[in-house]
Amino acid sequence: MIFFRKYKKMQNSSQQTNNNSQTQKSISSELMDNVTEIKSIFSDTPDLVIRHIVIKQTDSKAALIYLSGITDSQTIYNHVLSPLLFEENKENNEADLKVSLGHIKEVTKWQEIETAILNGECVLFVDEYSEAFIFGTPDFPKRSLEDSPLESTLSGAHVGFTESIADNIGLIRKQIRNRELKIKEITVGERGKSKVSILYLEDVANPEVLQELETRIQKVDVDGIINSGVLTEFIEDNSYSPFPQLLLTERPDFAASEILQGRIVTVVDRSPNVIIGPTTFDSFFRTMDDYGSRWIVASFVRLLRYFGFFIAILLPAFYIAIISFHFEVIPLKLLFSIGVSRERVPFPPYLEAFIMEFTLEMLREAGIRLPAKIGQTVGIVGGIVIGQAAVEAGVVSNIMVIVVAITAIASFIIPNYEMSSAIRIVRFPMMILATLFGFVGIVAGIMILIAHFISLESLGTPYSSPIAPLRFKDLKDVFIRFPVWSVEKRPLSTQAVQNRRANSNRPKGDEKG
Amino acid sequence: MKTNKITLMQYIFLIHGVQVGVGLLTLPRELAEKAGTDGWITIILSWLLTSAVSLIIIQVMKKRPDGTILDLVTYYFGKWVGKAATILFALYFAALGNLIFIREAIFIQAWILPRTELYIFILLLSLPTYLIVKNNITVLGRYSELVFFITIWILIAYLIPLNYANWLHLLPVVKEGWLPIVSSIRTTIFSFIGFEVAFFLYPFLHKKEKASLGIVIANTITMLSLLMITLVVYLFFSPDEITVFNEPAIVIIKIIEFTFVERLEIIIFSYYIFVISTTVLPLIFFAVYCTSQLVGKQDHSRHLLLFLILQFLIVLLIPPTVERNAILREGMNVVSFVFAFVFPICIWVYVSLHGVLKRGIKK
Repeated sequence: MIFFRKYKKMQNSSQQTNNNSQTQKSISSELMDNVTEIKSIFSDTPDLVIRHIVIKQTDSKAALIYLSGITDSQTIYNHVLSPLLFEENKENNEADLKVSLGHIKEVTKWQEIETAILNGECVLFVDEYSEAFIFGTPDFPKRSLEDSPLESTLSGAHVGFTESIADNIGLIRKQIRNRELKIKEITVGERGKSKVSILYLEDVANPEVLQELETRIQKVDVDGIINSGVLTEFIEDNSYSPFPQLLLTERPDFAASEILQGRIVTVVDRSPNVIIGPTTFDSFFRTMDDYGSRWIVASFVRLLRYFGFFIAILLPAFYIAIISFHFEVIPLKLLFSIGVSRERVPFPPYLEAFIMEFTLEMLREAGIRLPAKIGQTVGIVGGIVIGQAAVEAGVVSNIMVIVVAITAIASFIIPNYEMSSAIRIVRFPMMILATLFGFVGIVAGIMILIAHFISLESLGTPYSSPIAPLRFKDLKDVFIRFPVWSVEKRPLSTQAVQNRRANSNRPKGDEKG
Repeated sequence: MKTNKITLMQYIFLIHGVQVGVGLLTLPRELAEKAGTDGWITIILSWLLTSAVSLIIIQVMKKRPDGTILDLVTYYFGKWVGKAATILFALYFAALGNLIFIREAIFIQAWILPRTELYIFILLLSLPTYLIVKNNITVLGRYSELVFFITIWILIAYLIPLNYANWLHLLPVVKEGWLPIVSSIRTTIFSFIGFEVAFFLYPFLHKKEKASLGIVIANTITMLSLLMITLVVYLFFSPDEITVFNEPAIVIIKIIEFTFVERLEIIIFSYYIFVISTTVLPLIFFAVYCTSQLVGKQDHSRHLLLFLILQFLIVLLIPPTVERNAILREGMNVVSFVFAFVFPICIWVYVSLHGVLKRGIKK
């Protein structure tokens, strides 16, 4: 077995070296040789276009090669083909190709040519030339800019990221027009090479954190990255945690505001989500709308979210614990009404709770995957019809339906989808603990959660800041959103080099300067 | 964080956390048995004494600020004494941690889930214990800090019974003379036990110049919580009634009732498990810290696992009873007295004399 593995490894490595020697080869100066080589590289590629032309300027034979689906045919026709075919070169200067295109590169290696063609650029081989010309004409199919459907907003910018890295960077640049906004580019993936760009403010972001992120991305060894979620899983600190440690967002304004706070944004090509890190727990409870509405309203909503967090995790567990262990906690009158409601239910409370919670989770998943029109029907059928019928049939109690409904609403209030999924998952172990040990189980469960929560890190910075390494100044923007002008410092958890972000010396209404 | 340091606040709440634990629940009764309703004066006297010894500990630690007490002992007395001290401290913390852990389980059984076996609680609580203690001191500090702030409302709940307070219970002050008050200091002092973890916390503290201030603040917070709960209990129960209940501090919460919840003591005591955990976890941490120092390893998670398994087996094979636990606690009190009061003073005298003698030789 070991021998076999070794043999396989050897084979693999020899294959790779073969590949390398092939791609490291330089092109020849014979046009036909080059065309044959291209044909052998791209065999079975019907969308490969090879156009033989005669360049009018030099009267030399040439071949223009590109992939038709991902190049801009208009540009090729107007700015490459027609100048080459029709324009005469009056100065007779051979070294200069008269092409009205900005982006031209001269290369000699096959590997570069291959990458260029796959990236939607077109390649021109000229006879008796030992270099090939690469024209930047990529035009991948893409959608137009539109509002992000998952993270909707009332007062923020109505534009979301798309699948194009250049557009995404442009959207962030549009928000932060500052020369300190630096971009580092890394290529990840063996087969589906995707560009990953790290955006940060050079004079604000912590260099150590940046270095950490960069090394982690460079270490990623994978076939291809289809989604930024995949990259996240490779670079996050603890993959075994239910809680997301890096924030994914589709909103450029949110990403820009995080950059301004000293965090680092990673844009992944072909993915509409950008990765924000280092994050803290409270980052997942914020929306851009918080900063667009009045601070008292925003604080109220934010407190509601934290309240929802606890309810979503604890309410079903609490219900089970009270009904099956500690019914003496409930006052007599309330106990009576619960008793009446539970009278016909044949199941113990935990079974009842699990049935309802699972139904709810299935409903939610079904609703997401189905087309919007059918999804609504599922919601109505599942929520109202089943809920009502189950109570009337005496399978579950009214109180249980209330508990499940409140839990569902509470978990919907968390703005970040991944965080709310984590909360949904955490709820079930809590229910099991409550089934077995009542309140003691819940307390042990919370203790485990806290233990996990305070030892988690995001890119090497504490995840539970500013709550568990308690930082009073940072608390200004956690549970209550203080007026923006009063939050003078960037959060300490970002470990920003520059801390000042606002000055509270704003003019008071009546005062005359 | 990579630095493995604790902030001043974490230092304060770590010490305070170790001090306040299960002892608080029975303290009012024990005090009332010995000193009557003047017991609250004892708390203040004990606080003075404890703070004095705490300051001595910091003075000792200042001599070798970069190491724990183990390094200090090794420096002054040599390698073998250092090793012996490490073993002694490990045993002391392990025994104390184990004792309180079991006491915690006994109380949970008595008050919340009477029909569940004791070893199941040990098993259940071992899980979060393992998850927290396997990390470094920073995480432990964060835990104590967080728990303090999420449990502070329990103290506020104790203000509610004050509606029924009878202030005459306290009068006359010092009704039986000072002797019972002073003699019951012995009882109270054990509620303050735990400040000796400063021996181990000091090198991790970020701002060492504030160590003295921090430890006094920690003692003061402990004193205020003890004082408040004891006073509420004294004002609520009549002087004779207190001694009837084993844990008057829990019984008193029974009178609080809302329209939506009754028997609040079940909820509050469940929540009080958090407070007890801040006592147990650091003790276990320092026990395994000592043993891993002894072996010369950085990672203590294996020792921790071993400790928890051992503890579980002990409970499984020799089911603890309330009486035996009480006897063990009495014995432990003597040991604690040696470790927390006698040892610091002795070593302080030695260390300062050592300095003086050295200077004398140099002259």
